[in-house]
Amino acid sequence: MCLNAMNPMTDIKNWFRSLLLVWRREFKLVFSDPGVLLFFFALPTLYPVVYTLIYNPEIVREIPVAVVDNCRTGESRKLARMIDAAESMHVIGYATDLQEARRWMNSHDCFAIIEIPHDYSKRIGRGEQAVVPFYAEMSLLLRYRAMLASLTDISLTNGADIRATTLAAAGLSGSGESASPVNTEAHFLGDPDQGFASFVIPGIIVLILQQSLVLGVTMLGGGAVERRRRNGGIDPLQIQAPASATCIGKALCYLVLYLPLTIYILHYVPEMFLLPHNGSLVDAMVFIMPMLIASIFMGMVLQIFVTERESSLLVIVFTSVVFLFLSGLTWPRYAMNWFWTLMGDCVPATWGVEGFIRINSNGGTLEQNAHPYIMLWILSGVYFIGAYCYWRWCAGRRSRITV
Amino acid sequence: MKRTAGLRTTILRSLHQLVSRKIYIAAMIGVPVFCVIFFLSLLGPGLPLKVPTAIVDLDNSQMSRQVIRSLNAMELVDISDRCDSYVEALDKVKNGSVFGFFVIPTDFQQKALGNDTPTIDYYTNLTYFVPGTLAYKGFKTVAVSTSGSIVKTTLVSAGVGDRMAGTMLQPMVFQEHPMGNPWLNYSIYLTNSFVPGVIALMVMLVTVFSICDEIKRGTSVGWLSDAGGSIVTAVAGKLLPQTVIFSLVGIMCQSLIFGWSHFPLNGNPWHMVFAMILMVIACQSFALIIVGALPNLRLALSIASLIGILSFSVTGFSFPVQSMYGSIGIFSYLIPLRYYFLIYVDQALNGIPLYFSRWYYIALLVFPFVALLLLGNLKKHCLRPVYVP
Repeated sequence: MCLNAMNPMTDIKNWFRSLLLVWRREFKLVFSDPGVLLFFFALPTLYPVVYTLIYNPEIVREIPVAVVDNCRTGESRKLARMIDAAESMHVIGYATDLQEARRWMNSHDCFAIIEIPHDYSKRIGRGEQAVVPFYAEMSLLLRYRAMLASLTDISLTNGADIRATTLAAAGLSGSGESASPVNTEAHFLGDPDQGFASFVIPGIIVLILQQSLVLGVTMLGGGAVERRRRNGGIDPLQIQAPASATCIGKALCYLVLYLPLTIYILHYVPEMFLLPHNGSLVDAMVFIMPMLIASIFMGMVLQIFVTERESSLLVIVFTSVVFLFLSGLTWPRYAMNWFWTLMGDCVPATWGVEGFIRINSNGGTLEQNAHPYIMLWILSGVYFIGAYCYWRWCAGRRSRITV
Repeated sequence: MKRTAGLRTTILRSLHQLVSRKIYIAAMIGVPVFCVIFFLSLLGPGLPLKVPTAIVDLDNSQMSRQVIRSLNAMELVDISDRCDSYVEALDKVKNGSVFGFFVIPTDFQQKALGNDTPTIDYYTNLTYFVPGTLAYKGFKTVAVSTSGSIVKTTLVSAGVGDRMAGTMLQPMVFQEHPMGNPWLNYSIYLTNSFVPGVIALMVMLVTVFSICDEIKRGTSVGWLSDAGGSIVTAVAGKLLPQTVIFSLVGIMCQSLIFGWSHFPLNGNPWHMVFAMILMVIACQSFALIIVGALPNLRLALSIASLIGILSFSVTGFSFPVQSMYGSIGIFSYLIPLRYYFLIYVDQALNGIPLYFSRWYYIALLVFPFVALLLLGNLKKHCLRPVYVP
């Protein structure tokens, strides 16, 4: 390769030449491999759409609920009406007793039971607190959360009504006591409608970017290993180039391919489904760049475990679930122990998800996300060194000797 | 007799295949064991309490300090930052150091006591659902009780009795009974759905991989002839050892979840064991359906992984199937994992009679029969193995 090793200018020129050759060859390899095309193009194009379609109804509405009314008075019927009118709940009927309601629940006809006690209106009339048991089926916490929020609001509104009536009856109305002396107002940042897709999709799409890159890169690597195995240690399709030029050339190829895809995923997907999309696209793109680079080099490092094109799937696919949890999207990172925090630190998507969500949903800027941004560059550096070592000492060794 | 011999030879051949490569051991035992340990350890605390939040106290009065003390006393939130303005607090949300903040306005005490109705605003970052929700819950409780304590003071001063004034704050309350998971433990909820999901994914991948690998390497003709030419024997012999290994691994995961971690198992443990074995068989059959329709290693594996990963979402662990679009939700009923999840909810979490879950068991039993229909196509391809990369 380096015939004129004395001249550093020629060295640099040769290095760039081989970089371009690697880049061009990688394009050919990508476009001649349907498996890789599936991961590089079909997956990032279709998955965000499929995922958003799954979660797009956003909130849980009209959960079937059974009411056991042991009181049967105007007050108890008003309560049942309020429950039925709540967005998250739908009263499927009055059960005669708790046993019947339980039977409905066991037959999966309802997911919660509200039992109005026999002394409900009596207690209200007496100025005592009425306690209404609410039994919820706990298979999905989202359902419980939605019902609980509605019930809390109902108890506040209904409570205010009852208070006003009682105070009026006691001759105290009009003096301002019935109204609340302090207004309280809740604001939800980043996801004002508390929608599930709005919460989960911005994170998931970043993870899809990383995983599709890693899958494609490892599949290409597996293909190269297979070719080397068939040809006595030489990959006939590999350009003879320094390890650094090989790594960077390949990475450049994938980056160029991913640029339009990333714009589609980070800009058009939220746009299409009207998901939260507040930050600037420039900030988001600048931010995500090191995540793509880090993912590419991480894929090259993971090639060590992939000795065959298809085994990349067995090795990589399940990590999506692990990476999803390590990213802190579902379970916040502050509650993880040091070991899993450290593991999460090593995954580009962890920082990618964190920063992109804040830029995209919370309207943050790149400066506000300097920490994840710097971490992504550090990861890029670390994984580049790993990938360099792989090409320097593992993958390219035999072929270099032969040449 | 010939069939038994064929079955024995294929089983031996399958066992040989499974131990010949490290990837099988890793995929069949390593991954599920890692995942169950991962989930149990990661989600160990059950609830991510002490959400980092900020307070913006613009009043600095005795009453506002009282509010901050109430916030600090909660287990849900942790006031980790004090900010001087809304802008500063919002900046802290945007750089991720807090998940929400509570604003006490200027002249709060003066207005509250002077009947001027000040407004307490609280902001929670719902881009992180769980901490956002917990912070919201904590903030709301304090906001409502602050308002309540002022109401009480006013009522008592207006001549209402102390006891009645207390009741008047909340004349009616709902008493929550979260059945099966009274601690609202996230680990119970997530581990029980995601670990079987990973097992289902790995079962499908290994099944596809082990069958299509024979076609890829051109050894499928030998595999069929070992089985005496019967594709049913061949498939049964190949998959039976995997069924046993995956079922044992699955039961081990269940024992870690229900035994070691004492997660709710309110029904008969055998019902869950039975469900796990049936799910393994159903997932193998599901993979066979894919292989039968597309006997190409790469395509079949890609489809199995795409479906395996999508099934985490479409089976409705986190977002209920009933709330999905009908045309999407219907797919959840094609996935074996959905039935395992429904059985888990009935038999382990709620502990209701087996009768109510009967259809879910039957649904799992249907998958092998559907797979049988497609074996003919697989046989054709096994006899003429062509590897399309």
